[in-house]
Amino acid sequence: MGTSPRLPSPMPVAPPVLGWATGSGAERSWLSFSMEEDEFFGEKTFQHCCAEFIRHSQQIGDGWEWRTLKNASFMRKRTCSLSVHYCNPEAEYNILHEDSSEGYMCKTHFQIKSETLMSHSGTSACVQTCLPIEEALELPLDDSEVTETTTGSQVIKYEYHVLYSCSYQVPVLYFRASFLDGRPLALKDIWEGIHECYKTRLLQEPWDAITQQILNEHLL
Amino acid sequence: MRQEDISEIWFEYEGTPLKWHYPIGLLFDLLASSSALPWNITVHFKSFPEKDLLHCPSKDAIEAHFMSCVKEADALKHKSQVINEMQKKDHKQLWMGLQNDRFDQFWAINRKLMEYPAEENGFRYIPFRIYQTTTERPFIQKLFRPVAADGQLHTLGDLLKDVCPSAVAPEDGEKKNQVMIHGIEPMLETPLQWLSEHLSYPDNFLHISIIPQPTD
Repeated sequence: MGTSPRLPSPMPVAPPVLGWATGSGAERSWLSFSMEEDEFFGEKTFQHCCAEFIRHSQQIGDGWEWRTLKNASFMRKRTCSLSVHYCNPEAEYNILHEDSSEGYMCKTHFQIKSETLMSHSGTSACVQTCLPIEEALELPLDDSEVTETTTGSQVIKYEYHVLYSCSYQVPVLYFRASFLDGRPLALKDIWEGIHECYKTRLLQEPWDAITQQILNEHLL
Repeated sequence: MRQEDISEIWFEYEGTPLKWHYPIGLLFDLLASSSALPWNITVHFKSFPEKDLLHCPSKDAIEAHFMSCVKEADALKHKSQVINEMQKKDHKQLWMGLQNDRFDQFWAINRKLMEYPAEENGFRYIPFRIYQTTTERPFIQKLFRPVAADGQLHTLGDLLKDVCPSAVAPEDGEKKNQVMIHGIEPMLETPLQWLSEHLSYPDNFLHISIIPQPTD
């Protein structure tokens, strides 16, 4: 694939949990209840929708699972991505949920991609010593004239969690992008992978967007 | 140290990496409350523990995390009405007041987050998190109202009995734990609403530590 890794936007993930409820007449009755009045029911509605969501995911082979951790249940999806990595990763932005909600959906996804980049001998030397996996996958470099070179490629793992936030009483999406050895993805790589339609908002308030926007998208 | 050996800074106490996104008072209560001040911690420049700590790339990350806690607290207290009615500059003032240790600047905005409608007896729900080092769970956070159906104010003891019963000793039993906020043990009869208004951290949450009773 020649495209940079694109994180699926939060929109398709969480709203379908509510979207499922509006999908058919039989399920429409779920939304007639006032979610804010009865928090118990809000969470049970979430769990019901997750069950529907996972059932559908299984039908289309989309990889979402239901996982239980003590009192909490989760849905998971796995994603792995191979990308060219041209410098030491800077900062990483990692949203780890610490909510003690009763259940969540989870998916891990693996993706492979490659990119060509501008590099000079100084940078490529840096890349060579970066990681063993890069060395193994690295293509030969023509140091003499070429200003563009394809260096090593990476496998990136994306992990998505959709859980219920009792504070906001809505589903919340958390995601984590890391290399196979567990190192998290550089923050700028994650931002670069964001879908075009979110990029304008992202550039204006980068920190706000990843954290708050993902939450705000789903406020009822 | 040579410049090339230095990577991201992180802090540790007695083998436990310290989470930068937790208030320092909470970390001290939870991990070192019996030790004397000043608190001696170890600064590291190598081997960042990826599995235990979030990276802190810049001050903006701290601001973003702080504001997201404040917003979550207001979602619980006021359905986000108060925080959403504020302008961006008010949010900025909250953060700058905290960052620059300007009490009046901070409280000019924060006091609005501590108000509630005259017809109510308190907030909608109390923003709190209960921490214990003995459990795997990072913290306990649940929906909890400050006022009971009959109008009685819920106490700290009521909260613990409901969400963390193992923390409270049976009436005639021996006291096994300390329930600590800001380094003190408030009486369990204290109304939760009062604690939320007066003993919250700057992020508007009550961060409560359950630690073993010291044996001396």
